[in-house]
Amino acid sequence: MSLESSPTESLPGKPEPAVDGPWNRVHPASPFVRGWVALAAVGFFFGRDAFERMLQGRDFLDPNLSGRVPWLLAGGAAVLLLTVGGFILSWYFTRYQVAAGYVRVNTGFLFKQQRQARLDRVQAIDIVQPLLARIFGLAELKFEVADAGESAVRLAYLPLDQAKQLRATILARAAGAVSGPETAEEIPEAPEHVVLSVPPSRLIGSLLLSEQTIGILAGAAVVVVVSVLTQNQTLFLALIPGVLGIGAAYWNSFNKGYNFTAAISPDGIRLRYGLLDTQAQTLPPGRIQALMVTQPPLWRIFGWYRMHVNVAGYGVSGSSEGAARTMLLPVGMKSDVLRMMSLVLPDPGVEDPERVFTAGLDGISSVGAESTPGDGFITTPRRARLLAPLGWRRNGFFATRTALLIRSGRWWHTLVMVPHQRTQSMALHQGPWARRFGVADLVLHTTAGPVSPRVFQAGVEQAVELFDQQAARAREARKRQTSEQWLAQVAPQSPEVAATIPAQPAQQQQLADPTQAQTSPQQEDRHDG
Amino acid sequence: MHTEAIDPPGVQWLRVSPKYVTVRLVEWAIGNVVMLAFLSLPLIFVLLGWWRWPPLWLAITVPAVMLVLALWRLVLIPRQVRAIGYAERDDDLLIRRGIFFQRTMVVPYGRMQYVDVAVGPVERSLGLCTLKLHTASAGTNAQLPGLPSAEGARLREQLSARGEARLAGL
Repeated sequence: MSLESSPTESLPGKPEPAVDGPWNRVHPASPFVRGWVALAAVGFFFGRDAFERMLQGRDFLDPNLSGRVPWLLAGGAAVLLLTVGGFILSWYFTRYQVAAGYVRVNTGFLFKQQRQARLDRVQAIDIVQPLLARIFGLAELKFEVADAGESAVRLAYLPLDQAKQLRATILARAAGAVSGPETAEEIPEAPEHVVLSVPPSRLIGSLLLSEQTIGILAGAAVVVVVSVLTQNQTLFLALIPGVLGIGAAYWNSFNKGYNFTAAISPDGIRLRYGLLDTQAQTLPPGRIQALMVTQPPLWRIFGWYRMHVNVAGYGVSGSSEGAARTMLLPVGMKSDVLRMMSLVLPDPGVEDPERVFTAGLDGISSVGAESTPGDGFITTPRRARLLAPLGWRRNGFFATRTALLIRSGRWWHTLVMVPHQRTQSMALHQGPWARRFGVADLVLHTTAGPVSPRVFQAGVEQAVELFDQQAARAREARKRQTSEQWLAQVAPQSPEVAATIPAQPAQQQQLADPTQAQTSPQQEDRHDG
Repeated sequence: MHTEAIDPPGVQWLRVSPKYVTVRLVEWAIGNVVMLAFLSLPLIFVLLGWWRWPPLWLAITVPAVMLVLALWRLVLIPRQVRAIGYAERDDDLLIRRGIFFQRTMVVPYGRMQYVDVAVGPVERSLGLCTLKLHTASAGTNAQLPGLPSAEGARLREQLSARGEARLAGL
């Protein structure tokens, strides 16, 4: 962002003429990096025959082949030429442009596609480097707007520096820091401050103690017992594919979670991770729709937690890629969780956030909780303890001024947080059993993702009250939200980040005094975009 | 209809058209007749002596149970239709449904991305329509079936206008 360099140019008082940037092309090698699978498949197809022949001790080439060699060569050359030609054409016709309010991408030469994504709708922006691209120093830029499924814009591949530059440009323009005709080269990357990182030992430990391991141990025990009982050892052979699959799953988690680093910058939360394929995500402030902290039973030994988020555009976590992208923290101590919480929700809306979050993470109300609400969480009433014999003292909710906290799970501790202005719609559910016990569930609807907020078995009176109040709170929070541009609303965590905040041009009148923006949390969430 | 326990206090529910019962009856008939015919095939085959398995009691029980369930659902239809209700408040739309499994939903106008009006063949012949509200969340499964066409059109215009006035981003 050109924060220090040219604040006068981007002041809202002087509207600049919307001059679109030039059209650019991606790196020429990108189709080959992307299509290497196709090339490898062709190579494999032709190579395998020769290889098998060699293994069998025969001639390297089929002796019958000699007559057909010219044809084969011609055919192979034609295939190769077509592929390479296709690559070159697809490269030539892929162009992108950063315009005043939009990013435009043109692709295709037979079926042309023109895509235009609004910058003020940017939900997240990722830089992905698969192994091969990393070797060549290339990176893919993914740009999400609020539409589940496909990324709005995928630029594969750009040189890494250029990708970072483009990310900075898009974020700066989306934040409203830059509205003039600056080209991509003039906007420096926003400074960032590393907040936490996950050491590899903890990652390995967390994988070994995950639910997956419990499942595997249980499965292994069953197999051993069955094989002893039936005296059938061939059963173990049948396990080999399973073992391979499990190994692959562990490797995948390790590969994705390795070297996980979270940082804060005026652009938002930056997440970096990956061993072979690296990925750098940027979540602009206020784009997180819902957040979930979970703790599997075995993680309690070391006090570890993991965090997931819903971000519009990331979509469902069905694929492994989606699962990795919705991960805000693969494993962390409680202090890490609290720090991430403070990044996601700069204003927790309570006086003692640490106590409240701790109660949400690990708290359980005492048996006589109805009369003395100890930690503030309103739990399932005692009359419904038969419905949830384990969880009734744990299931509960707590509404702060800015977010709703929902905790559940006696063994799998879960804490869900939904900022009030992110609530889409709500529903109260009550089945026949719940009616019998006088309880109801409250479901908050958010965008697609791993987090599905639901208050389990709240007492009917409290549930209806919450339903009404929550509708009002969400309404109030939405009214305060004035702009899609999130400029200068992140509470700075370090002096070097803080130093940039006053340099940013004041986009909204309320923020004319930068010190006021930092001292008053209410002020900040007013333009929580 | 009296206000159920989970409904917010002081809400005046508007009901959908009683003619919607007919739509539900037609849907019920199509679904259940096909299902029952399919499940009765073994019985017919056993009676005709073509099949030795399943035994006669099982061949009778399965369709009989299905028939009882279907009839029970049939009896419930008018009550279910009466249980559907909606209320326009200043800033949001309330929708409720269900007798055994009740649901009360609130959809803020500012959150609505678009509003659909769908009309099926049976609904059209009765002059009804179904209104669907969409927010950014797939979980918002807000449907209002069995609205008279005029009311559906009015509601659509009204909701769009109010949504525009209170439009918020995500």
